Amino acid sequence: MPWYLYLALKQLFPSGRRFPFFTAISVLGVTLGVALLVVVTSVLGGFQHEIRRMIVNTEGEVQIKGRGYITNYADLIARIKAVPGVVAATPTASGVVMIEHRGFPAYPLLSGLDLNTIEGVAHLRQYLIAGSLDDLDDDSVILSSQLAAAVHATVGDTVDIVSPLILNKLGQDELFLPRTVRVVGILQIGHQQLDSSRVYGTLRLMQDLYGLGEYVHGINVRLADGANEEDVAARLNALLPPDIRAYTWMESFKDFLWVLNLERGMIFFLLLFIVIVAAFSVTSSLLISVVRKTREIGLLGALGARPREVAACFCAQGLLIGIFGTLFGLAAGFGMLGIRNYIVLGIARALGREEVLERFYQFYKLPSFTSVGEIELIIVLTIAISMLAGLVPAWQAARLKPVEALRHE
Amino acid sequence: MNEPVLTARGLRKSYLSGDRRIEVLRGVDLAVAAGESVSIRGESGSGKSTLLNLISGLDTPESGELSWSGSPQLDARRRASFLGMVFQAHYLIPELDARANVLMAARILGRPAAAAGKRTDELLAKVGLTARGRHLPSQLSGGERQRVAVARALMNAPPLLLADEPTGNLDERTGAEVIELLLGLCADTGTALVLVTHSAEYAARTQRRLVLHDGRLS
Repeated sequence: MPWYLYLALKQLFPSGRRFPFFTAISVLGVTLGVALLVVVTSVLGGFQHEIRRMIVNTEGEVQIKGRGYITNYADLIARIKAVPGVVAATPTASGVVMIEHRGFPAYPLLSGLDLNTIEGVAHLRQYLIAGSLDDLDDDSVILSSQLAAAVHATVGDTVDIVSPLILNKLGQDELFLPRTVRVVGILQIGHQQLDSSRVYGTLRLMQDLYGLGEYVHGINVRLADGANEEDVAARLNALLPPDIRAYTWMESFKDFLWVLNLERGMIFFLLLFIVIVAAFSVTSSLLISVVRKTREIGLLGALGARPREVAACFCAQGLLIGIFGTLFGLAAGFGMLGIRNYIVLGIARALGREEVLERFYQFYKLPSFTSVGEIELIIVLTIAISMLAGLVPAWQAARLKPVEALRHE
Repeated sequence: MNEPVLTARGLRKSYLSGDRRIEVLRGVDLAVAAGESVSIRGESGSGKSTLLNLISGLDTPESGELSWSGSPQLDARRRASFLGMVFQAHYLIPELDARANVLMAARILGRPAAAAGKRTDELLAKVGLTARGRHLPSQLSGGERQRVAVARALMNAPPLLLADEPTGNLDERTGAEVIELLLGLCADTGTALVLVTHSAEYAARTQRRLVLHDGRLS
């Protein structure tokens, strides 16, 4: 080991002392910054990951939408399924309806599902908390959990559905009665917005309610594992007519994802300041150390140390603080992620605001998804910033002339 | 006289004090033979430490010539292997124990670890600190610290040892022990010694006694 690295280690961890105050405080500052960066980026990543999971599990990775209705969807689906990377496709139609049960109204989005093909694309069964998808027919619906609670409906009840088509019919002096359907299932996806505003019925029911005839609004597509969503969407767009376009789930929700990414970027940037402030503290401590050790630095010069080696000794201290701070920070960050739900629930319970938390964050549990790329970025930035923190003291130390340093009082 | 390890001719050095230039050294000539012990005495401010800084290569003269074993070049690495230095203060690194402090002189020069470790143990034994090798400087007495500094100065087996008032911070008895140690070790290893001291008693123990007065050695 080069002498300057050895001395840097010894100055941070002197013989006979477990963890000196300067080292402990410096490492703690970096640890805190890294731990918070890991926790916050992972939780925000978790939100994004959860949203992707929910979208993909209910609508597939790629959504095909037309400017108006899609007329010949059976033919189109056959062509879509022939595209490499596509596993399954299902037609869909959706629109806002009014449902009413025992005088409790709600205005959810009704998704019409093609029962023959839906399970190839959407994994709805795993979200059912009551009833069965097998019982769904043209005279029944599945309600999302919070919607069911809002209209006080449960499996076996009947609800009335009114579509906006009633307005057209009224304009033509026609009577369009509400459609009475049975509730055959309750679905809970885990996202507050989806769980409070969705009704699932058959494609036929939706077509009847919206007067679509045999038309649909779109086609949802499931891709093979590992297939690149953008590549497949590009291939699909190459074969689709000009008025119909394939969108990846990211494109479909691009505004939402942009806001989410902006939020992640801003929080990352702001939290990085904790590391930068910690680095300033390291700089000032090392500068004091240079002044305090001026005569020792002079002696090192007298013993043959070159200025760049003396500089390396102080730079290495910054680097070592960065490495130890990063390691402890990663451990603390992942530790906190492991118990995040207990922490959040504990705080919410203490404040008596569990429902608000659920409503605000959309999820019942705080999600977490750690991106390897982001962790690598945190490690590289933290260690680089810590090493830079040692540069100014290192430069100060390297400038000292041994003869003057030895005379220093 | 043996081949000189150090030759200085006409060394001059001055300092600015306010607007006034003070000539500290006014043409100093000095030759030190291998294995020789030389003492330099002088009043405070007479330029003893300045002279030592020049002959150690840490500072440069305004005029005059210096050569170390015939070579006028003395970069940091050569200085460390050619010269050992002992100062009034021990300048031990507080985070390192006594053994590591001695070993540091060899580490900086990149000497092989096994041989350096063996020599460190030998030197600690010679200065009577074998049992104190794992002690930090803060756990050693003033005399013990200075003995560690002597061992460190001899670590790279230099042909020349410069000692700048090495007893200045020690009591009389401890100071005498350190001087005894320095002279004994230099004699045993054939190391030339230049000892700067105020003490006529310590100076009398050296082979050649010089006095720095009015910027010149006599």
